[in-house]
Amino acid sequence: MYPGPTSPVNRLHKSVSSVRSSGSRQWTQHGQNTEGETESFCQLKARLCGATMKKVLEVILLLLLLVVTHAKGTRYSPPGKPALTRCRSPEKETFTCWWEPGSDGGLPTTYALYYRKESSDTVFECPDYRTAGENSCFFNKNDTSIWVNYNITVVATNALGRTFSDPVDIDVVYIVKPNPPEQVAVTVMEDKGWPFIRVSWEPPHKADTRSGWITLIYEIRVKLEEENDWEMHLAGQQKMFNIFSLRSGGKYLVQVRCKPDHGYWSEWSPSSYVKVPDYFHREKSVWILITVFCAFIFLILTWLLHMNSRSLKHFLLPPVPGPKIKGFDKQLLKNGKSEEVFSALVATDFPPKSSNYEDLLVEYLEVYIPEEQELMLEKSMDLDVGCLKCEGSASDSDSGRGSCDSHTLLMHKCDGVKEEEERQAKEARRHQKDWKEEASTYAHVDVSPDMSSGRVKTWPSVFSPLPRYTSNQQGSLEMAKQHYLSDSLFPTSSTSSYHTQPGHGTTEAHGPGYWECGLSNKQPHLLHPQAQAQRQLQARSDDNISSIGRKQTPAGLHSPARRSTEYVEVERVNEEDMVLLQPVSGRCGDVEGYPEMPYGEDYSKVKGVDMDNMLLLQREVREETENCDTSSTVTTTQKPAACIHSAMPVEGEMVLGVNGYVDTATVCTPPTY
Amino acid sequence: MARFWCAVLILACLELSTRVGTAPICSYGQAGCHTPSLADIFDRVIQQSSRMHGISSDLHSEFEQYFFPSKNLIGKPKCHTHGIVTPADKENAQRLGREQLTEVILRLLGAWGDPLLQLYRSMSQDQNQDFNHYSSNKALEISDMVHELRDGVAKMAEKMKLSGVLGNTVGYISPEGLVPSSSFSFYKHGELNSMDHHDLLYCFRRDSNKIKNYLQILKCTTLPGLDC
Repeated sequence: MYPGPTSPVNRLHKSVSSVRSSGSRQWTQHGQNTEGETESFCQLKARLCGATMKKVLEVILLLLLLVVTHAKGTRYSPPGKPALTRCRSPEKETFTCWWEPGSDGGLPTTYALYYRKESSDTVFECPDYRTAGENSCFFNKNDTSIWVNYNITVVATNALGRTFSDPVDIDVVYIVKPNPPEQVAVTVMEDKGWPFIRVSWEPPHKADTRSGWITLIYEIRVKLEEENDWEMHLAGQQKMFNIFSLRSGGKYLVQVRCKPDHGYWSEWSPSSYVKVPDYFHREKSVWILITVFCAFIFLILTWLLHMNSRSLKHFLLPPVPGPKIKGFDKQLLKNGKSEEVFSALVATDFPPKSSNYEDLLVEYLEVYIPEEQELMLEKSMDLDVGCLKCEGSASDSDSGRGSCDSHTLLMHKCDGVKEEEERQAKEARRHQKDWKEEASTYAHVDVSPDMSSGRVKTWPSVFSPLPRYTSNQQGSLEMAKQHYLSDSLFPTSSTSSYHTQPGHGTTEAHGPGYWECGLSNKQPHLLHPQAQAQRQLQARSDDNISSIGRKQTPAGLHSPARRSTEYVEVERVNEEDMVLLQPVSGRCGDVEGYPEMPYGEDYSKVKGVDMDNMLLLQREVREETENCDTSSTVTTTQKPAACIHSAMPVEGEMVLGVNGYVDTATVCTPPTY
Repeated sequence: MARFWCAVLILACLELSTRVGTAPICSYGQAGCHTPSLADIFDRVIQQSSRMHGISSDLHSEFEQYFFPSKNLIGKPKCHTHGIVTPADKENAQRLGREQLTEVILRLLGAWGDPLLQLYRSMSQDQNQDFNHYSSNKALEISDMVHELRDGVAKMAEKMKLSGVLGNTVGYISPEGLVPSSSFSFYKHGELNSMDHHDLLYCFRRDSNKIKNYLQILKCTTLPGLDC
């Protein structure tokens, strides 16, 4: 079927024989011409020799070649197996097949394509090897049948052999790959101020879509010139497409391709460029949006700042902490209404029950009453003594002698107080009754630094001395309570603003009772066991308390000591050297009936002071005293504390303690007028 | 109680009366029906044929993928419709004319009704293959499509005749007359193996393509428009 190649050996033989024959022919020819020319004979001879030599050389070379090749072995081989790479039809009317040649085996190889149609055994060779280029076969319209199966084979032939490729079955209908669409036109159009691109094209001219023979669908892709991502759009069978959402001023590339219903996509058409004009209002809107957004953010920030201005201020400029009194709201004082202050002070939960006794104890007011001051009511010497004493005891180990330490103050005040005392003593007598009735409670809590001297000797009564002086366990509790009182009224810091104006005190005495059961840190002084020591104490305390400005001193109770405060009267002293106090009340201890106690029931008579510097108070042997059994134990009554009962003289609402003691906390209740 | 039943009755009556009436199917072009235009029919028919071809193509490729991985088959099957002369290129198809073309389409469609049904039955019965359930559904689908398409093309021919586009030479072709039963004996009755399935699918794939193409030619020669 297929013509066999001529073997190279045969050709060689042929060539050799041709050389030989040609040579002999030449020889014969030349021989005939030598008769006329003896000289040319030699020339002829030479020429013949040369020609022959040439021929011989050629033969030798050929022979050599053969020998060499045979000696080397398999340098030449039959061709390698070719392979059909693809077959394509651009319009479903013609088609082309390409193949890939295998190795040629070193020899010139020829390729041939043979095909067989379905249901026919006739083998045809490719009609056209050239049109489609190298290694291709082009089937024209006459040779192309649709819906017919082609069995195609490529054969490679060289001097040494033939090689067949693998057969391939194709049906033209399924190998259609059209040309790219043509006449792609891109224009910019406008739709209500917004531009868009209109792309239009034509099907490839070869594809006959007009008759319906082939149906194409199209696809478009768009991208900005500077970007890498394409935007794909499937256009279906239409030949026109609109693209929206363009960037103002952008340059776009547009490409189109097509595909038959069941086939391959064509190549992309060449890029078409289009520039979208700038449209202002779109950019403007962007700027407007940005501005609005910023303004919004700004508003939110401002509002936030405003809301948090306070905390911010605190953060940046922290406020200076002010003094604090436990349980007392200094705002009340700032307001200037003593009523409220009083009420606050005598509130039931006042003083605050601190569990730390030590704190309270520090605040303890130490009172020292020297012996000379028996008649302290008339005299104001005690202050001096106190002052002196205070000075002397500069080295006291007591921790809280703040005011005592300030010697200068002490001296100064001592003088000042004396004059006042006298005045006040008279006043006190005058207002004795008033005092009783009013049971005024004066907030002469002179805790101010200038009154530190006063504090030295104030509160001769109730308030128990420091626990270390206490031998009585029970008393400590009471003392503690008193401490509370003192604490609350007179904190260690002498900057308490308790100090209300005397004028206020008088008028508002009726207000909530309150007590200046305050103790300052005082060294417990030795109190002379005077019969009237207590009075002295009280007087002193009165003085001190009211020295600052207790003019009114309705304290008719004590003449020298303007009794601006209420005191707890020491009722008795028990066996254990404890001073039992009772509230100053009318019933408790006949005020009038006690000449020794012009202050009436507010004071306790001091019986004496024992070795341990303990103030022994005289027990009031009265029936009425039982009503107001406000006895609080005071072991070391160095600290005369006066518990002021606002309404105590009148009523004896005393809470009788278990041991006959009275909880001064409850004692010092607001007056109930 | 009586009132309740009255209300129910009234409601039922209302519902019946207000029911949206469906437009009657205008199979015979009665008056008052909204009949689709020829262009619409053409579109529908071409859409249907395109879809049919797509499904058959999918089925065939599935078969090839699962059961015949090697593409080189020993021989291409001989289809039972080989008896129907079909134009093999554009010129021949255009030379054929509308009437003959329509006839060819109808013949082809008619020849495939039964074999596809048989294919479906055979595929659904075959329990071995896992994917057969999905494929048998497809087989059923194309089987139905062939029938519908045949009816549609027939209607289209009628309409064309009415509008004078088509000559009267196209007569109603009975399915039995299209393909002699002898040629159908290609396929064994009852049991078809997977080889037969494959052959059938191969043949149908090609024939559905022919149908689609002929319909498109028909449309573009009858109604040249934007799509052509």
